[in-house]
Amino acid sequence: MEKKYWQSLEIYDEIVKNSVSNKESMPEFSIDGLDETEIKGKSSRRDFLKMMGFSVGAVALVSSCQMPVRKAIPLLNRPQELIPGVPNYYATTFFDGDEYCSILVKTRESRPIKIEGNDLSQISQRGTSAKVQASVLNLYDDVRLKGPVKGGNQNNWKTIDAEIKGKLEILKNDDKEVVLMTSTIISPTTRKLIDEFVIAYPNVKWIQYDSLPMSAMRKANKINFEKDTIPYYHFENADVMVGFNADFLGTWLMPVTFSKQFSKGRKLKDGQTKMSRLYQFETNMSLTGSNADYRYQIKPSEEASVLLKLYNILAEKTGNVVYNTTEVKTDVSKVAKDLLNSKGKSLVVSGTNDTKIQLMVNAINSLLDNYGKTIDLNTAVNLKQGVESDIMLAISGMQSGKVGGVLFYNVNPVYDCVHKDKLTKALKNLPLKVSFATTMDETALLCDYVCPDNNYLESWNDAEPINGFYSFTQPTIRPIFDTRQFQESLLRWMDSDQSFSDYLEKNWEAIFFPKQKTFNSFDKFWFKCKKDGVYNIASEEQSQPVFKGGKLKAEKPKIGALELALYENISIGTGRYSNNPWLQEMPDPVTTATWDNYVTVSPAFAKAQGLQQEDVVKINDSLELPVLIQPGQTEETIGIALGYGRSNAGKVGDGVGKNVYGLINISTGLKNLLGTPVTLEKTSKTYSLALTQTHHVMEGRPIVRETVLSSFIKDPTSGNEEHVKFLKDENFSLYPDPKFNAFQWGLSVDLNSCTGCSNCVISCQAENNVAVVGKDQVKLGRIMQWIRIDRYYSEMSDNPEVFHMPVMCLQCDNAPCENVCPVAALSHSDEGLSQVTYNRCIGTRYCMNNCPYKVRRFNWYEFVNNNKFDYNLNSDLGKLVLNPDVTVRQRGVVEKCNSCEQRIQEKKLLAKSENRELRDGEILTACQQNCPTDAIQFGNLLDKGSNVSRTNDTGRMYHLLESLHTLPSQSYLTKVRNKKA
Amino acid sequence: MIINKFVVARIPKVHCFLFPFFLFFLISYSLSSFGQTAEAEKNFTQCKACHTIGGGRLVGPDLKGVTSKYPQSWLIKFIQNSQNLIKSGDKNAVKVFNEYNKIPMPSHNLTDAQVKDILLYIKNGGKLPAGVSVKKAPIKTAVATTQQVNQEDRYFEQQRKGSRNLTISAIVFGILLLLSIFDLLFSHYLKSKWIHYVIILSALWILGEWSWDFTTGLGRQQNYQPDQPIWFSHKVHAGQNQINCQYCHFTVETSMHAGIPPASVCMNCHSQVKEGKRTGKKEIAKIYAAIKEKKPIQWVKVDNLPDFVYFNHSQHVKVGKINCTECHGDVAKMDQVAEVHELSMGWCLDCHRKHKVQFRSNKFYAEYKKLHEELRAGKIDKVTVKMIGGEDCAKCHY
Repeated sequence: MEKKYWQSLEIYDEIVKNSVSNKESMPEFSIDGLDETEIKGKSSRRDFLKMMGFSVGAVALVSSCQMPVRKAIPLLNRPQELIPGVPNYYATTFFDGDEYCSILVKTRESRPIKIEGNDLSQISQRGTSAKVQASVLNLYDDVRLKGPVKGGNQNNWKTIDAEIKGKLEILKNDDKEVVLMTSTIISPTTRKLIDEFVIAYPNVKWIQYDSLPMSAMRKANKINFEKDTIPYYHFENADVMVGFNADFLGTWLMPVTFSKQFSKGRKLKDGQTKMSRLYQFETNMSLTGSNADYRYQIKPSEEASVLLKLYNILAEKTGNVVYNTTEVKTDVSKVAKDLLNSKGKSLVVSGTNDTKIQLMVNAINSLLDNYGKTIDLNTAVNLKQGVESDIMLAISGMQSGKVGGVLFYNVNPVYDCVHKDKLTKALKNLPLKVSFATTMDETALLCDYVCPDNNYLESWNDAEPINGFYSFTQPTIRPIFDTRQFQESLLRWMDSDQSFSDYLEKNWEAIFFPKQKTFNSFDKFWFKCKKDGVYNIASEEQSQPVFKGGKLKAEKPKIGALELALYENISIGTGRYSNNPWLQEMPDPVTTATWDNYVTVSPAFAKAQGLQQEDVVKINDSLELPVLIQPGQTEETIGIALGYGRSNAGKVGDGVGKNVYGLINISTGLKNLLGTPVTLEKTSKTYSLALTQTHHVMEGRPIVRETVLSSFIKDPTSGNEEHVKFLKDENFSLYPDPKFNAFQWGLSVDLNSCTGCSNCVISCQAENNVAVVGKDQVKLGRIMQWIRIDRYYSEMSDNPEVFHMPVMCLQCDNAPCENVCPVAALSHSDEGLSQVTYNRCIGTRYCMNNCPYKVRRFNWYEFVNNNKFDYNLNSDLGKLVLNPDVTVRQRGVVEKCNSCEQRIQEKKLLAKSENRELRDGEILTACQQNCPTDAIQFGNLLDKGSNVSRTNDTGRMYHLLESLHTLPSQSYLTKVRNKKA
Repeated sequence: MIINKFVVARIPKVHCFLFPFFLFFLISYSLSSFGQTAEAEKNFTQCKACHTIGGGRLVGPDLKGVTSKYPQSWLIKFIQNSQNLIKSGDKNAVKVFNEYNKIPMPSHNLTDAQVKDILLYIKNGGKLPAGVSVKKAPIKTAVATTQQVNQEDRYFEQQRKGSRNLTISAIVFGILLLLSIFDLLFSHYLKSKWIHYVIILSALWILGEWSWDFTTGLGRQQNYQPDQPIWFSHKVHAGQNQINCQYCHFTVETSMHAGIPPASVCMNCHSQVKEGKRTGKKEIAKIYAAIKEKKPIQWVKVDNLPDFVYFNHSQHVKVGKINCTECHGDVAKMDQVAEVHELSMGWCLDCHRKHKVQFRSNKFYAEYKKLHEELRAGKIDKVTVKMIGGEDCAKCHY
């Protein structure tokens, strides 16, 4: 049966009505938002004369101008490793308090411009996430503090150090507590330093605070295994995975690592026919849910009952104790059967921060014998160490006067704490308030002193994200401003003159160097650590701790009440990077919305309440947010993303969306994102959202192709019959046959691996100097990102199947864009690439009209030095992130993906100068290099042995809209779902 | 536009070397035979910047008798990388280093055989043995005579004159054009109309040529010869002293930029050479001032390409084996460097169409199987840059 694919509910409705008409679909460009004169398009004779006079004047001016004098300024003293024009890579570590990633930083002329994954890391395995990619822009953020601040005014370190030290001494003598509130700290050396600080000032109490903690899991493991840890997961060893509200491919715990693991179990390469299966039970449509083979919708209050039901079936089958439970309609028998069939090769996880639920998950995993196989309790994950009770204690201490001072490092509780009103009040009367924030954020604003920390790209540090796996942070640039690392501030206040880099080195020499035997000199060992960026100490095999179960109890699901499910979205996360324009403009992979948060409601709920997309609703009579109708959202629930509504993030992030941290469910004492009962009321207002959803409609043609595993095993070309037919057909072409000398660059996207995580979008943006255009322009369909990730739905509108499909320029050999260019700005290279010559383009946009894939972007405005687009390209600091190898396009020019031509040329030159042949896999495009699922392959199609040729050489390969005979070099591989046909 | 200005560098604190010392890249051609060769003399031109053989102390020691003073193995190590030896605490090395004002000798990318070759050359007192002849020095040895300077000047003068003549004749013909039109329509001074037509046609021709010349020249800077902040003479350095281009522009084989030498490179010699023959102490003192005040010298860029052009020096010099002079002219004869060629796209493409690729010697090109076959079969006699995509837009514009 032919499936009907749809992109928006309007289209779906039309499919249902069986009257899908192309005419009515959204226009590619609308005239909304244009000036009156622009719309009318009138130009009078006087305008003509004015223009005439202007042009004559301009010509006269140009001809009388001298060429500008350009300077070449060499260094006075060149450091040996610095060669102008040649990038240097430094291995370092990204850790922002939530997410860990081992990375390589590309620097040009000493400025970091791009982040790549570190392939030596066994944890992140050369993968990165969109947030990690975008983090390089935070270094060049104008909002960063330029020096230490006292009482709102810039001051110098000497004064501030003396005053803070004085106050700390007074508080010590008065025996008043000082709270050092930090984010989770995974650096063993920093932990040691904090311990020493506590010895120097015994009145200091160190607490760790996470915006979104995972304390329930720690508690449950403490109860079940007497281990207060988060275990390390091995999704790659699991044949069957079941997720309960855990977006492990998007935001949960270690998304990059889990994506790598997940994709490993689902690769259908080189004849492999085994594939893991993912069941997802969830409230909102998450990225993981959109990649699940089977997805079930549950309400937050049903989760416990569903888990217990699943447990009971498993327990019954294995002869264990069964507990009483309320009946829920969700049918879990299929899941249970599948889990039992793959005992020891399955994995159940839940992202809900509720001890009850985590205990059930542990019990199920224990029944299934998963410990030691897919869950490793002995290798503790050190992320998310925060405990909710600590901050409560601290606040009550401040209220009672027991606490006399507070130091905030890498936390912003005034913004993201549930008790922020109490905290704000309590802070008022404290004698000492210090923040180490890099910007004047909500918390720093209330502090007497701000001692700005360095950006992580200017810092020294180490990290131990997982026990035994170490990772190093080294500076890739000197501190741009007069900032100082948090650790160094502590050292100064302990009356030490030591720099933290020395402290770090000494610590490693004393503690870790003796533990290894490979190196006999510390210098060599330390050099190796810094060079690789990672260092592992092999731990001894231990048996997993014994499971000690207890009684499981599930509360009755609420019926009829509207439940809220908050979530962390993939770009903004907890709100730390709100001021990053790349992340703000990144379309959400599921809703395709940019620049806002919104209330997601199910189509049925919307119909019942009479809600339309973009209607503003009132939540709990106070919070007003627009509605986004989200297929797959559970009935009687709504979802809202956290991390928005910052008031002191900076000019980009301020006032974007609404802050919903106050709606977190704290009924159990833990911060639970799910299950807050809310009321929703329709208002008469509307608020427009910037969705990229209905641009680039492909007019209902077969774009994504899919099959199921059983059919794929029988016939690798199943689902891809059109391609077979296309090959059999005789195709006549008026174009000459394409000819290539040595290379034909091709890129293949495995739709089965791609999860839609959007890492490639930001990686491409950073590599290719792609401009940010702002919400208004996105609404007009003028987003500039060279890769768009199309999201298609199929089947039912209440619980659809989802596809994510990255589309970049397909480099057609019969390119329709090239032959319509009136000024020959587009040409085809002898290596199969469709080239744009920006300096020749006059902006007729014929090529955009003629491109069937709509991958070309037009510069409607000058995005550089334009106050109307006040993002990174409008500031001297922000421009330092630009890649000097790629032209910054100007107004009136069409641009598009060029398969990272600069990278191709760079590697070709490297091979030439080393007098050798180009190796397969040497050229990595920006989208391919850090893909956390290795979904993208790039290489020479003429070489039949190359990775991309072998990947294409399965029945799954097809080209987009191949019936047009555009002969694209980029190809796609059919998506295979592991479900029943 | 590409923003590719040199960012004032911040030195990463990563691998801290005590002494900033400078890589020194040499074209190391393979040795034709062992024993002293003509190559030794060529290689020794690098040494000459700081050493003499029997001519007394310069920046570094006089090399006369050095071969008998130290063992050969030690000398090889020191010449290849003196800093490593000093760091390892070698007594002799440290002594020499201290004795010569702690000026590090740049490390040299020379093979053992090449160093031995040079040592033999030093032992012979800086003379080639009979029978070995200099093949071709990278820079023509030329003692600059006044006559040659004039030739250089004349070249630029001619170019300028050429364009000036065209402008003058354009003005003259422009006036003639107006006059003849006036006469044709109103005054009727000349009776035969064909004279008007001839004048009008030829005036249009000249004006057309002038505007073509003018408009294509917009943004081009041929003959641009700006004053530099320091009166630095390439003729003295590259011509008379025969310092290899790559001694100063040392990143030309590794980077897209040839590299303007850091002031510390100047100091390799000018820590000793404090006075110039023509400029006295005045100009050299500017280097010392720059270093003292920590203000880099702001040289004026002579050869400019538009920002939307990607040009890579190492591609042309190292891979394409193109001599510097092909694009920059005979710099060794210029006191003040000028832009010799127009550096237009047509000029680039002309060369791409004519220039042969190192097709057989560079293994990279093995991938071009069809072209190799055609070469073997004699269908083509050479492979030009154009034939492997040298006319593609995106080779330079991206």
